[in-house]
Amino acid sequence: MTERGLEPSDADATYVFAVCRNPDPSAVVGLPGVTDEAPVSTLPLETLTAIVQTVRARDFTNEAWQARLCDEQELERYARAHHDVVSAVAACCPTVPLPMATLYQSEERVREALANEADRFHAALNRIAHHAEWGVKVYVPSCQPDDSSRSTTPTGRSRPAPGAGLAYLDRKRGAQERRERRQDEALQAAEAVDAEVRGLATASRRLRLHGPQPSGEQRVQVLNATYLVAEHRADELTLLTQALRERTGTQIELSGPWVPYSFVGEV
Amino acid sequence: MSDVDFRQRSYPVSGPSGPPTTNLADILERVLDKGIVIAGDIKIDLLDIELLTIRLRLFVASVDTAKKAGIDWWETDPALSSRASRNALQDENRALRERLEALESGMKDELPERRHRNDPPARTKENRGT
Repeated sequence: MTERGLEPSDADATYVFAVCRNPDPSAVVGLPGVTDEAPVSTLPLETLTAIVQTVRARDFTNEAWQARLCDEQELERYARAHHDVVSAVAACCPTVPLPMATLYQSEERVREALANEADRFHAALNRIAHHAEWGVKVYVPSCQPDDSSRSTTPTGRSRPAPGAGLAYLDRKRGAQERRERRQDEALQAAEAVDAEVRGLATASRRLRLHGPQPSGEQRVQVLNATYLVAEHRADELTLLTQALRERTGTQIELSGPWVPYSFVGEV
Repeated sequence: MSDVDFRQRSYPVSGPSGPPTTNLADILERVLDKGIVIAGDIKIDLLDIELLTIRLRLFVASVDTAKKAGIDWWETDPALSSRASRNALQDENRALRERLEALESGMKDELPERRHRNDPPARTKENRGT
């Protein structure tokens, strides 16, 4: 996994964090990146600049990543390290993040590979200029299983003297109906929130819903979406979120500003 | 250029001990799943050695970890799940069957070309330390 003629243990590779335009080189000074053996640095391409770090190839092989990513702490360490470099650069200039674990054999290969994609990078940079990404998650309380304890059901009254079995069925049916109604309401709330936020966003994307936390959270996520929002509308978004919380009675979590990770790929 | 400080609450993180105030799942679904993908980035071809390109396998490797971190979308991602690999197998099967049919019906000239499989395999296993 090395250039010919080099011992694997000595070979370097180039990790690429992001591509940007005219960064302030001091933005990356002191960032740890993904290794402590070389500093994070800028690599000028023709019209763009890549943010790179020289790493030991043997530490970043397929196998090394697989092992690393099966370890939650390591995964977190690398994800945050990558994210921190991307965020620091984006704080000084428009920046297109690359996915974690993008590596090339050498800086020369980075130049070649990325120069070929210059048009896409410029298009992405133009799309996200003066924008940030904001995540919106909507939660509703999870259903209580002991729902059926409420014995009055709308249909129960019309029956003169229901037997115990029938009453039981009625109760069950009522619980089921309530559950479905709540589900519908939650989904409607999610759609309403999404529609409202899209109204002030430049672009939006649905992300996959997160499952319940292992800790047994008492809430269910019904919307996980992310929005590309112009800088000058960020305050509006905060206010809107607050208003939506009150109006829909759901828990709404707003996260951001993020570097527009979700909006630099194909749209 | 940009007035927004993206370093938000997750910063500074100079190691695993930094205050992890930004949800890991939020970071993962952006850092791994998104970001621009370079044309050569996906091809899992260690022959001419773009080191990583292993994004897909990388995801699979971390399913358990991801679940512990509270996200279960890894398994439902059509590109990443085991079902996806089944589908990939099915696709490959189908492609092979088509090739076979094409061969059998004597349409040799119409065959899609197989890419670079004949290149000598590089020494990709670096398990001989030192």
